[in-house]
Amino acid sequence: MTGIAYSIWLPLFALLYGAVMLYWVRVAANEAAAGDGFFSASHALAPWISALVIAGASMSGWFVLAGSQQIAAQGFQMPALIVGGVLLALPGTLFFKRLWFVAERMRVSSQAEVFRVYYHSPFLVAASVAVALLFAIGFAGLQIRAISEFAELMTGGAVSRLTASVVLGFLLFAGTGIGGMRAIGYFGVVQTVLAFAAIVVLSGFAVIWSGGFAALNSGLLQLSATEGSAGLFSVSGVIRFTAGLGRGGELVEANTALANLSFAFALMGFQASPLVLKLVFSTRSPNGIAAGQTWVTAGFFGAIIAFCIALTGAAGLANEDLGLAGILGSLQSNSPWFAAWIFIGVAAGVQLLAGLALFAAGEGLIRHIYRPYFNSRLSKRGAITLTRIAIAVLAVVAMVMENLTPVTLSALAALALPMAFQLWTPLLGVTWLSWITRPAAVTGVGFGFAGVLLTEPLGYQVLSFFGLELPWGRWPWTIHSALWGMAANVAAVLIISAITNRDALGAEAREVRKLFSGRLAVSDKARTLTSIAWSVTLAWFFLAVGPGLIFGNAAFVATGEAGPVWLLGMPSIWAWSLAGWICGVGLIWFLSYKMEMASPAHVAIPPYEPPLRLTRDKTAQEQERLRTLVLTGAIGFVLAVLLAFSFGG
Amino acid sequence: MSKPAMVERDLLVFSIWAVLGLGGLALLLEGFSRDSYLVSLAGTAALVAAFVAHMVVNAVFDCGFRPGEAALGISAFGALALAFIGGWAVGGLSPADYLSGLTLLATLAFGLPAYLATRYGLRGAFSRFHVRHADDGKPAA
Repeated sequence: MTGIAYSIWLPLFALLYGAVMLYWVRVAANEAAAGDGFFSASHALAPWISALVIAGASMSGWFVLAGSQQIAAQGFQMPALIVGGVLLALPGTLFFKRLWFVAERMRVSSQAEVFRVYYHSPFLVAASVAVALLFAIGFAGLQIRAISEFAELMTGGAVSRLTASVVLGFLLFAGTGIGGMRAIGYFGVVQTVLAFAAIVVLSGFAVIWSGGFAALNSGLLQLSATEGSAGLFSVSGVIRFTAGLGRGGELVEANTALANLSFAFALMGFQASPLVLKLVFSTRSPNGIAAGQTWVTAGFFGAIIAFCIALTGAAGLANEDLGLAGILGSLQSNSPWFAAWIFIGVAAGVQLLAGLALFAAGEGLIRHIYRPYFNSRLSKRGAITLTRIAIAVLAVVAMVMENLTPVTLSALAALALPMAFQLWTPLLGVTWLSWITRPAAVTGVGFGFAGVLLTEPLGYQVLSFFGLELPWGRWPWTIHSALWGMAANVAAVLIISAITNRDALGAEAREVRKLFSGRLAVSDKARTLTSIAWSVTLAWFFLAVGPGLIFGNAAFVATGEAGPVWLLGMPSIWAWSLAGWICGVGLIWFLSYKMEMASPAHVAIPPYEPPLRLTRDKTAQEQERLRTLVLTGAIGFVLAVLLAFSFGG
Repeated sequence: MSKPAMVERDLLVFSIWAVLGLGGLALLLEGFSRDSYLVSLAGTAALVAAFVAHMVVNAVFDCGFRPGEAALGISAFGALALAFIGGWAVGGLSPADYLSGLTLLATLAFGLPAYLATRYGLRGAFSRFHVRHADDGKPAA
């Protein structure tokens, strides 16, 4: 075939993808024109659609882009990644069902609104929106940058990274800005299956080009025997008391068992983020949650992570030429149709996450911040228009940062998951732990955010700019910022809940409590299993992602005459993680069905009727609030400049 | 069929073709490119699987192919046949390519009556083409 014939496939597949996307946007827009549902798909998405899209968004392209590359570069030192499917599914198992019923009762459609009605806390609303913004600009932006780099690589520079990111930004706006939540749900199904197919095919090529599974593992065994490489196949101790990366801590020694455990907590932030809850609240029934979390996310997508992503990474580890870029480059030269299909699949996964994040952030800014606090007279149509504008602006900001400030983008991206994990405490307060009071939840999240910021590059770089040098770097003691933040968060929640009035609940919070102690009360049968649930969960965490990983280093290794022998024909820690994944699916099943945390519930929930109140004209109050905000911002900026000028370097 | 059901059915159809259809196409092209009949056969099998899955979805939702789908399918079949004949005419086909192309076209050509027979039964399938005139079957006046 000619060069033109080879280079035509990527644009052709991209065109087809764009056409299909616009078709679904049109379907969604037509349905929205008939009624409403721009923000919540009229709460009518089918449970199977939500289950699939939640799994797709949870995994998205970032497991391929980051996960496989991490294994290729650092080996199997972070096995928590391999059980990622279970870790991603766990928060949904815990929260989705109860939160869906709260949303149904209170007629709300986002995490920020749940916090507003339950806690009456503007801070928690802002925190939820801030997390959505971090995902939209940082987390998704970084992935779009990565995928744009691959576009440049695959077209031999004919399409630059800038052009690719502009095109992707435009597609993102077209998909989410026009079609809204319905388009995200509908097209998300196609994006998810495309991403899934791409990951499977990619790993297939990785294995075939490695000479098969046995040859790949023999290459890994050979690598493990070379000097200094044995550490690539084991977890290096439980903890190391280093000052953190950038302050004397070395990356090669950073992957301890506690690093794995704390990274697992960061992964568990995703399904506690406002992005995924948008999908949950847009679903017409909660009866697909258990099946979705158990079989789709933990089971099916967990298997894809445990096998396909790990295989792709392992191929890159055994042979540098078979890294992600190497495989895509070779495919583009030899089989451009497969290269195009895989690229579009990975890009679809990234776009799914980015679109959802942009939508949640745009909605948060307009519907949850601007409208209730600064312009309550804004009409529904006006809110939709402004949200579309916000989405466009955010897409442009992300695109600019992708190309001009990649370091800042990376620093912002690093905050998204650990900060989302800090929202666990207020979510637990709404769903399971009614003793968490409003001041405790607010302070806990504040402390949690501070803990994350102080152990991530963005926080200590900002402080350094103001002249304050922290004595620690990134992830001190090899503990991920998610756990540092949560330690501060939980400490604050426990102390403040103990000293504040636990009965000082709003009317809506009382309604929610009544709901969980009445129609949705856990059955006696499930209650008797509580201690077993705690035991198996803690045991799983200890062995699969915690200090028990140390046992996995040598669990399936024997000493032969010519050196160590891998009993299962694969690295021991990988086999250990596969066992962890299988047990993890069992754990999710047990929690979902036997503990009734996500099991189907056929209960009709009437909407809550709030007591009638006189509506007041809030215009003056809102204008005053806006003035205060502008003044505070200006004073803050001046103070920041003065501080940086006085003490900064 | 209600509108939400139609949307769900369409989503399934799009997903099936995104995976099996594009995968089959990629395998076919790979087979032609490598002169490998087996790889092309895998591509044909993937396309057949896509058709079967599409028909299963139709059966679940109790509907047939939509006019747009039928038109797209027939156009794609025509384009494939044209490309095959063109390739054969200019002598650009190796024996493996020739066999692959014939297998694909034969399979697809066989697929249409097979589909009609499974959906409408043998007699019903014939009736889809056999147009009865207004006076057929009526006793003479």
